[in-house]
Amino acid sequence: MNKSSRVFLITSAVLFGILIIALFRLQVIKGNHYQRVAESNFVRIRRLTATRGEIYDQKYRPIVQNIPSHNLFLISGKIQNLPALARFLSLHFEVTIEEITEMVLNQRFRTYEEILVADNVPFEQMLSVSEYLNYFPELVFRIGSTREYLRPNHFTGYVGRIDESEYERYKAEDYSINSYIGKTGLERYYEVLLRGQDGREVVQVDAQGRSLGLFQKGGFIEPLNGLSLVLTIDNEMQDFANRIFPAGVKGTVVVSDVRSGGILAYISKPDYDPNLFMQRITPEIWDELNSEDKPLMDRVIHATYPPGSVFKPVTAGLGLKKGVITQFTRLASCIGGMQVGNRFFRCWDHSGHGTSNVVEALMRSCDVFFYDLSMKLRLDEFYDYVLASHLGSKTGIDLPNEREGFFPDTAWYRKTFGRNVGILGHKVNLSIGQGEVLTTPLQMNAYYAAIANGGTWIQPHLLKQTVGRARLTREQVERVQTKQLPFSQADLRIIHEGLYAVCNSPYGTARSVQVPKAQTFGKTGSAENFMGKKTHAWFCGYIVTDKPEIAVTVFMENAGGGAAMAAPVARQIFDFYMGNIEDIKRPAVLPPQFRSAEDLAAEAAQLSGQDRAPEADMKQENSEEIHPD
Amino acid sequence: MKKFILINHKKFDFILLGMLVVLIAVGFVAIFTASTTVISDQIMTANHWWKQIIFAVIAFLAIALLLKLPMPIFDILIVPAFVLNVLALILVLFAPTVAGAHRWFSIANINFQPSESAKLLTILMVARYISKENLSEYKQILYGWGIMIVPVILIMIEPDFGTTLVFWASLMAMFIAAEVPLFFIVLMISPVVSVIASLHWLGIVIWIAVLAFLLLRAGLSWVAITVAGIINTFIALITPVFWMGLKDYQQNRILTFLDPTRDPLGAGYQIIQAKIAIGSGSWAGKGWLLGTQKNMNFLPEHHTDFIFSVIGEEFGFVGSMFLILLFFAFFARLIHCVFQLKVRERKVATAGIMAYLMFQTFINIGMNIGLVPATGIPLPFISYGGSNLLINTISVAVVLKYLNERGFIK
Repeated sequence: MNKSSRVFLITSAVLFGILIIALFRLQVIKGNHYQRVAESNFVRIRRLTATRGEIYDQKYRPIVQNIPSHNLFLISGKIQNLPALARFLSLHFEVTIEEITEMVLNQRFRTYEEILVADNVPFEQMLSVSEYLNYFPELVFRIGSTREYLRPNHFTGYVGRIDESEYERYKAEDYSINSYIGKTGLERYYEVLLRGQDGREVVQVDAQGRSLGLFQKGGFIEPLNGLSLVLTIDNEMQDFANRIFPAGVKGTVVVSDVRSGGILAYISKPDYDPNLFMQRITPEIWDELNSEDKPLMDRVIHATYPPGSVFKPVTAGLGLKKGVITQFTRLASCIGGMQVGNRFFRCWDHSGHGTSNVVEALMRSCDVFFYDLSMKLRLDEFYDYVLASHLGSKTGIDLPNEREGFFPDTAWYRKTFGRNVGILGHKVNLSIGQGEVLTTPLQMNAYYAAIANGGTWIQPHLLKQTVGRARLTREQVERVQTKQLPFSQADLRIIHEGLYAVCNSPYGTARSVQVPKAQTFGKTGSAENFMGKKTHAWFCGYIVTDKPEIAVTVFMENAGGGAAMAAPVARQIFDFYMGNIEDIKRPAVLPPQFRSAEDLAAEAAQLSGQDRAPEADMKQENSEEIHPD
Repeated sequence: MKKFILINHKKFDFILLGMLVVLIAVGFVAIFTASTTVISDQIMTANHWWKQIIFAVIAFLAIALLLKLPMPIFDILIVPAFVLNVLALILVLFAPTVAGAHRWFSIANINFQPSESAKLLTILMVARYISKENLSEYKQILYGWGIMIVPVILIMIEPDFGTTLVFWASLMAMFIAAEVPLFFIVLMISPVVSVIASLHWLGIVIWIAVLAFLLLRAGLSWVAITVAGIINTFIALITPVFWMGLKDYQQNRILTFLDPTRDPLGAGYQIIQAKIAIGSGSWAGKGWLLGTQKNMNFLPEHHTDFIFSVIGEEFGFVGSMFLILLFFAFFARLIHCVFQLKVRERKVATAGIMAYLMFQTFINIGMNIGLVPATGIPLPFISYGGSNLLINTISVAVVLKYLNERGFIK
């Protein structure tokens, strides 16, 4: 045997010797210890679910909050007797034996992972089930948290268990099969902010709760809780609008702050209770939610309607911009309608309005004026102007799946009706917001808010800031877009005059809409829809004190005339706003639970350093913080 | 009379082949139980075990083909195959990542890992060039490192640190078989030992003394010994300075590699689970299919890198000893084969193959029982995985072929 073969043999003997000694130590000497560890089952990594952020109105009053829930989990690796378990669960919960078996078998390569069998188990049921848990060591109750939607509405949306397709899509972002995820509304749009980041913990205790001490370092990643959202919504305004909206009517109310674009109230009727989705939904409830009234549909942004006469300022604005009319131009005389080609287009008022200028035409909502005006405008410049007015595109509100609305151009008509389509009749219809034009109530609200705001369109939005682990302003989360609408200041004054006359002139269509200490502006609309039903009732308007305040859009599906149905609701909202203007505008004090250490230190410094009343300090500090505008 | 051209009965090593077959058969058993989950009365087995049988059949077909291949053609093929393999290693860097690493080519659901074949081809290449007649030791070392460095760097970029270590070990074994004087090997290993010794000042003193003694015994001049001593002392002293210069997270990364239990949520978790499984197997094990740790599926993928933990849990110390001694006998037989071969190139290649299989075995079992950091090296012949089984089996087939062809050329 030569030298190198000796080196090889010795090296291999040493290496295998090391393995044998280590194995002997591990299996024979420490075997009992590890047997105990294995029996005490089990050392594993547990997910620590981050607490989801809550949702508040602009005064930090809760809209959505977390409440504790009892959830039943199953660890399939510990199952002793699967048929008995499945029978037991099917007796006590709404699952079938087949479902349980399938769940367990699907999980066969992750048997240590807990499967959520039932969530939000009522307390009494938990007590009665707990008595049997001795027989089923594989079952365990864990306290989690669930959502409570204090004020049912359409903007918060709701969360739900992640479904299979969502899990496949998002599992890289650390979702588990038991995770909750925002399904609709703000819960979905701000999922990333609300959710936070789950932590991890190595569980290494035996059945008696003693630490097994397998790791020197803890093995713990703290969960990062989600951020809470503070909305621009005002709960009192929202409640008031909810209360005065006529029962049994389908429709929407949108109230927005003209100067910031923040939504103060956002109502879509009929509504539904998101808390229903926190439990297993029974077939009866499911049928009701999917009934013909479509309570799940958010009519503010998920539905589009013909705007009718509330669209007239757009036509008027284009006429003024193109110089086709001036303030003084009087167009065709209204004799209850107008002959265009071989068709007689009616005015809503069959008795006729005579000749009008643009202000009078808006005031009395004379259709004939706009018919005549439309014949002097080209369809494609009309189309461009509508798009520039931000009516044919999404407003970009911070909610998912917003609809775009629609306005046709020549190409669309040719494509739809053939090359030789007569545009004229369609154009006449479009001029009064009828025909193919469709808008969402939110688009109209943003448009009227822009008129009130000197022509500056501001993206409507719900989020004001975040509180909690990080305090982000709206701008830090996402910039609010602003845009100048194509109005000259002179033209805008003429439109203002017309909208003022609607509410304040004795001939105006909405002369009842007046409130003390403020000027009201607005436009009514009664949009026909080709189903032989009543017209859609619209009112869009705004109020101005020493500066523009709020824009209100009231829309009622097939409810009748705008002046009779929608305008009174708007008037009450204006009244409510003016009656509570100080409350609504007063900046809210940041509640103690959201104050950071720095805030408290700064406050203390201010208190001790200056001789001012603490209240004044508080106000100043908060006005800086909460009113970025 | 050309009756049986595949096997030369007088020279074919049936013992080596027999051991190989037994090891692969043990693998089937282990993979079957590792991919089986028992829940209550339900026994569910994933299809890995019969896939492995198919891989094994393919591997044995490859052995037959290789044995049939005329030796001159085999010799000619090595260089172009190596060049192609290096090109593949470069190309794989541009392939889409799988599990965070560029390691696989995926064509029609078949994953090909060029670093697997690179192991064997690099060994054959190095063996050829360092075995040339009348080379000085310096040239042998230069050629060995020169050829090895290309695939090693390409594999480190992927990144696959464990495979790099295996390369390094087999290079050392080939130098030894090529009769490079032992003190060169000692010198080549010495910087690594110096870094480890720098943990404690006493370690440095003892190591330098041992080094000096070894080199003195090898008959080196005092000047050479002093230079080696100074260089190693310098390395040992500079290591702590270098360590202090590292950022916290860099230090942590190295410490976690050396001691995975520092990271209970990552590699440490897997190692602890493997240790609990093996330890709780105790003397006799829990029995076929009955491993509780395995059935809880704490270790993801325990049919691949952590298959030894399943064997340890279900067959206990007795079962693990059987497997370890089987491996030891297998490697002893390979060492025996090294010195049966008279052609220098084949001898060196066999030593390289032996060392690379042995190091994989040691690192994998060591990782399962918590001796060695987790590096993602499978257990040869036992772990589930087609390309690994194929290349390991072909490596042994190369040795079988060398033995079979003894005396045909010379």
